[in-house]
Amino acid sequence: MIELRSVTKAYRTRAGDHLVLNKIDAVFPERVSVGILGKNGAGKSTLLRILGGAEQPDAGVVTRKGRVSWPIGFAGGFNGSLSGDENCRFVARIYGADVDEVVDFAERFAEIGEYFRMPVRTYSSGMRARLAFGLSMALDFDTYLVDEVTAVGDQTFQAKCQAAFADRQERSSVIIVSHQMATIRKYCAHAAVLSDGRLHFYDDLDEAAAAYEAVA
Amino acid sequence: MSATPPAMMNGLTAQVRVIYALALRETRTRFGANNLGYVWALLEPLFWILTFAGFFAVANRSAPGGMEVIPFLATGIITFELVLKTAEKGSQAINGNKALLFYPQVHTLDLILARGALELATYAVVFVIIIGGWSMTVPRVRIDDLLLLMSGLGLAGLLGMGLGLVLCGLNVVSPTVDRIRGPLFRPLFWVSGLFFIPTSLPTSAREYLLYNPILHCIEMVRSGFFPSYHSPLVDSGYVVRWIVALFFVGLTLERRVRHKVQLS
Repeated sequence: MIELRSVTKAYRTRAGDHLVLNKIDAVFPERVSVGILGKNGAGKSTLLRILGGAEQPDAGVVTRKGRVSWPIGFAGGFNGSLSGDENCRFVARIYGADVDEVVDFAERFAEIGEYFRMPVRTYSSGMRARLAFGLSMALDFDTYLVDEVTAVGDQTFQAKCQAAFADRQERSSVIIVSHQMATIRKYCAHAAVLSDGRLHFYDDLDEAAAAYEAVA
Repeated sequence: MSATPPAMMNGLTAQVRVIYALALRETRTRFGANNLGYVWALLEPLFWILTFAGFFAVANRSAPGGMEVIPFLATGIITFELVLKTAEKGSQAINGNKALLFYPQVHTLDLILARGALELATYAVVFVIIIGGWSMTVPRVRIDDLLLLMSGLGLAGLLGMGLGLVLCGLNVVSPTVDRIRGPLFRPLFWVSGLFFIPTSLPTSAREYLLYNPILHCIEMVRSGFFPSYHSPLVDSGYVVRWIVALFFVGLTLERRVRHKVQLS
């Protein structure tokens, strides 16, 4: 469970302060997967980093219960000069998990073949995302934070991710940010729309889709 | 099956684990197969030691306080390099590792401590290799007080970490800091007692030079190493006060600027 209480975040730009998140109050309950829709630049990734704790809000309080993943997606998290398995080892260590088990699982899940033992900087963005997914699936999180998965790998890999999350529904929840409704539909039963620094929740996906179209 | 991390992780154990993982990772990136990190760490101090040993020989000078020239220079130069390299690595800890701050349990302080521990271990090995190499050319070597020697190196490492922590915070505010670090530190090479001992200087100069904590670290290392030399002026408590102050300022600064670190 993650709770936000009047969370505010602004970025300083040459044109003055840009308010990305404006006093957001929200509760993401346990075992409920939520999709967050937003245009490019709406602050989705910022929100995800604040949920995960990698970034601090300027004001407001974030409360987390259970283990929350880092934001999984294309960007960040891996050292380019180290190989996939070295990166996995590092992450397994900081989460206090069994290193060999994590590496085995991640390798099998990611299906990137020999690249697993090559420097991450030689990966395509799709391969990075595959590795990030494999690795996060190897660690048992209560909440998975996922950043823009629309283009991760081919149909087969997408189906695999969906199946893995469906498999975990009993114990884990997913919070996905995306700018495409189609992605959210695959993983979530609830959705919210982030625009102009505010987050609006909708119980019904169609309602969310309609609201998103109105702002997009 | 997926691995289950223990649900309740003691905060300290978790942090130790992070620092350990970081240090292993840094070892791979700093000393990876493709770069000559180990070689450089050894060659740089060796170059300075041999250059100045040459100067001493040409000028027909001996080391002060009954010390032999090579270990006199080695104790000074290696301790000095340890402080400066640790500060340098620490000051770049955030910029070189933004990807890591994606993981919320990794803090700036962990990066600095991990890098600092690695530098300390590296220079300890460099010290052993250089002194070991020299010891083969002389009949007998006796280390006077190993604990004092190691405390001197340890404090030098911590001093470097403290400096690195402060510089790292300042770096976030303005990247210029990293550019002026070199020119700012370079004069310290001449006033930290690498080539002299404070007691051989006139009192007026000595008074000012004793404000430099690096000089005290070097004096500690020398007093620990040489049976014939015991610096009467060394003040380890003074170095500890510097370290505490630097960590205090550095951590306060880090809290203030943390939100300015943009991850993407």
